[in-house]
Amino acid sequence: MTISYPDVVSLAVPFFIALILIELAWITITKRGGRYETRDAVTSLVMGAGNVASGIVLGFIAWGFFMVLWDITPFDLGHSWWIIALCFVLDDLRYYWVHRFGHKVRWVWASHVNHHSSQHYNLTTALRQTWTYTFTFMMVVRAPLILMGFHPAMVLFCGGLNLIYQFWIHTEAINKLPRWFEAVMNTPSHHRAHHGRNPRYLDCNYAGVLIIWDKMFGSFVPEQDHDKPDYGLVHNIGTFNPLRVAFHEWVGIWRDASKPGLTLKDRLMYCVAPPGWSHDNSRDMADGIKAKHLKRHPEDQGTPGFEHLS
Amino acid sequence: MPLEILLVLVVGGITGIAILSHSLGLSKRRAFQSADDAQAAWQREYPSSSVTDVILSQSGYAALIQTRRSIGVVWTMGDDTCARILRSPKIARVKTGLRLRLADYAAPVIKLELSTEETALWAAKLEGQS
Ligand SMILES: [Zn+2]
Ligand SMILES: [Zn+2]
Repeated sequence: MTISYPDVVSLAVPFFIALILIELAWITITKRGGRYETRDAVTSLVMGAGNVASGIVLGFIAWGFFMVLWDITPFDLGHSWWIIALCFVLDDLRYYWVHRFGHKVRWVWASHVNHHSSQHYNLTTALRQTWTYTFTFMMVVRAPLILMGFHPAMVLFCGGLNLIYQFWIHTEAINKLPRWFEAVMNTPSHHRAHHGRNPRYLDCNYAGVLIIWDKMFGSFVPEQDHDKPDYGLVHNIGTFNPLRVAFHEWVGIWRDASKPGLTLKDRLMYCVAPPGWSHDNSRDMADGIKAKHLKRHPEDQGTPGFEHLS
Repeated sequence: MPLEILLVLVVGGITGIAILSHSLGLSKRRAFQSADDAQAAWQREYPSSSVTDVILSQSGYAALIQTRRSIGVVWTMGDDTCARILRSPKIARVKTGLRLRLADYAAPVIKLELSTEETALWAAKLEGQS
């Protein structure tokens, strides 16, 4: 039996363009709900186009890996609608963990960093996607799904839907949604916090579609009205050049790991330790940044995003 | 979706949004309004650094920051700001001011638009002569 799932991300491109135009019109007319700057927006869009291109060029690697697993597994859960629904939820859990690794393992961060490299937060930011995902090897996190009997094409279809869902939440034009929705779903508010470089918001809200994973695994931080997310990286990049955006952290890893006089363990740690790790403690990781913030702002002690620091 | 149609959509979409954004006046470069404004942008990048002096350029596009331990530049790019502590940058004098080359893949060049007097002062400070 041949099964085919639509290539939903490509089909969504006209919808992406239309919503960007609507958001831009909204901001222009109402003078609120976010900001656009030409070069920032173009860089984000070019990164999105490059992401699609890299999928076309390198997608066969993950696909080949998935088909090997599919040949091995004795299970086949079929294609009924409720299996697709279950696949979507489990793949969203998969997304949560890949995204969490994306912030806690520098090798994966090198790919994901570019999604956070804009100092803006609008619908074009959603399309600022990686070109180097294949090299993170994070496709292995999908292995259990396929071994359980979800067809690779179904898994990729669900992943595509997940990506499309995340598009519309990259906006400042929507403040808060009804309470039940904010409780269960990832929303513009939750994801704004994820894009914040404020110490409070470092390493929070990794969700794709369902915010419940962050609540289950202790990474949920609600957006605070008095601490507006400041978008971008802890150390912002000084370029709009898409090649530099795509590869700067890989170059950073190489320069660190190839420094003379390091032990083999140090070199490995520069690749896999959390971003900000250094062999001589000359840099700060997320908790170090939070601790320094608390020294300057003791009043924030025990508030969301700082609860785990005494 | 056929590849040609996707290509037309992507190229057309990016070009269209770029032209629209530019014609709405959204390509204007931000200028710092005051030395305090520039210092706030610096402090956003280096929250723990203790700034001792801020020299704002006349254009407002950049400021030279002296901290207790080092010297650096904060500048605007588009509507954003960026800041770097400078450790032996390659300094070149160009018609419009100074051009700094950094050993930093994510911020390789800082173009400083400066008047003749500013150029002399900034170059001297950066080269550590004053
Ligand atoms: Zn992220
Ligand atoms: Zn995002």
